[in-house]
Amino acid sequence: MKTYKTIAVLSFVASIFFSCQSNTYDDISPKNVTDPTYAKNIKPIFDANCISCHSQGGTGQYPNLDTYADVKEACDNGNVFCRIEQPTCGEIMPQSGSMPQKTIDLIKLWKSKGYTN
Amino acid sequence: MKFFKCLLLIVLLFNFNKISAQDDLMKELDANKSDKKEIEIAAFKGVQICTMQSTKLAAKGEFYFLVSHRFGDLTNGLDNFFGLDFAYTKIGGLYGITNWLTVGFSRQTYNKTYETTLKYKFANQEVDGFPVTITGYNTFEVNTKLKTDLYPDLKFNNRLAFSTQLPISRKFSNSFSLELNPIYIHKNLYDLIPNTEKKDNFLLGAGGRYKLTNRLSVNLEYAARLNGAENSVYHNPVSVGMDIETGGHVFQFVLTNSQTMNDASYFTNATGRLGEKGIFFGFNLYRVF
Repeated sequence: MKTYKTIAVLSFVASIFFSCQSNTYDDISPKNVTDPTYAKNIKPIFDANCISCHSQGGTGQYPNLDTYADVKEACDNGNVFCRIEQPTCGEIMPQSGSMPQKTIDLIKLWKSKGYTN
Repeated sequence: MKFFKCLLLIVLLFNFNKISAQDDLMKELDANKSDKKEIEIAAFKGVQICTMQSTKLAAKGEFYFLVSHRFGDLTNGLDNFFGLDFAYTKIGGLYGITNWLTVGFSRQTYNKTYETTLKYKFANQEVDGFPVTITGYNTFEVNTKLKTDLYPDLKFNNRLAFSTQLPISRKFSNSFSLELNPIYIHKNLYDLIPNTEKKDNFLLGAGGRYKLTNRLSVNLEYAARLNGAENSVYHNPVSVGMDIETGGHVFQFVLTNSQTMNDASYFTNATGRLGEKGIFFGFNLYRVF
């Protein structure tokens, strides 16, 4: 009986070793987005990564990042870009770990296209 | 084929744990007296040193209820009340199936990660005998935060991350223990450009504890990334902690530069630097049933 249990447990361990096919964030990110909009592309990024702290409903950290106007302001005159990529004005944000480069590039593209709402 | 060979090898390794039960009782008692060496117990009080695993397992039939917190960045000061405005929470449990096998399950805030763990003992440190305790540890982590809104080509497989560790400890005296821990971490999803992460990560962890009194000890742990990505924004994780043992509880205070509590992220995505920005306060609480 003990042998069967041992084998069951070890095959679980072994299956962990062998089920390891990897992808990059590039592989799974949206492709061919040429003109990102706030509602469709940018808001989901800030909602998933920032607003648990940076919103009034969150812990109220400055700046708020839960509306179009606030995000635009923080990108234009605030520290968004110098905090999310190879940070030069403080530690990296989000503080639990950097967003994927593809996601950062999408925010930069949104800026260069003039912050489409 | 390779799979079965590997399985066979591990099964053979495990057979060292088997004790023949057929001998008659008196004979066994005699044998125990002369042959069996006394096991050196409690190199570490907690199953974790700070966030890294120690060589301690749950005893057979024991259930551990676990609650851990890691707060926000301490160095922001009063602005976020030294990080306490913000908290990651991990809740889970551990169960000792036998004395040499502990299974665990937990869920934490960061990436809404569900983690299954397996910890098993290969060898015990003995008084005047075998010099070290050797254990193995595996984690199987599922990131349930990823959404197809943001990542349309997401597959279930991409949510997984694995770690395999081999904590080896030696209790040098009643108050002083050290541990070495070779670590392998595999991520099924990682950021290749601009080379900030790797899919396969090798680390060498080290940790120690020094007991100040019977119920109080200071702990230190560090892990060096042996093949860190060149462009990484991350640092090697380092933590200092303090164990406080009260009846049935182990309470561990932790200061760390890595905010997350799942091993794949803790070891490879430490954002803070000791002495600069990004120091996180937290604690682990264990209740033994």
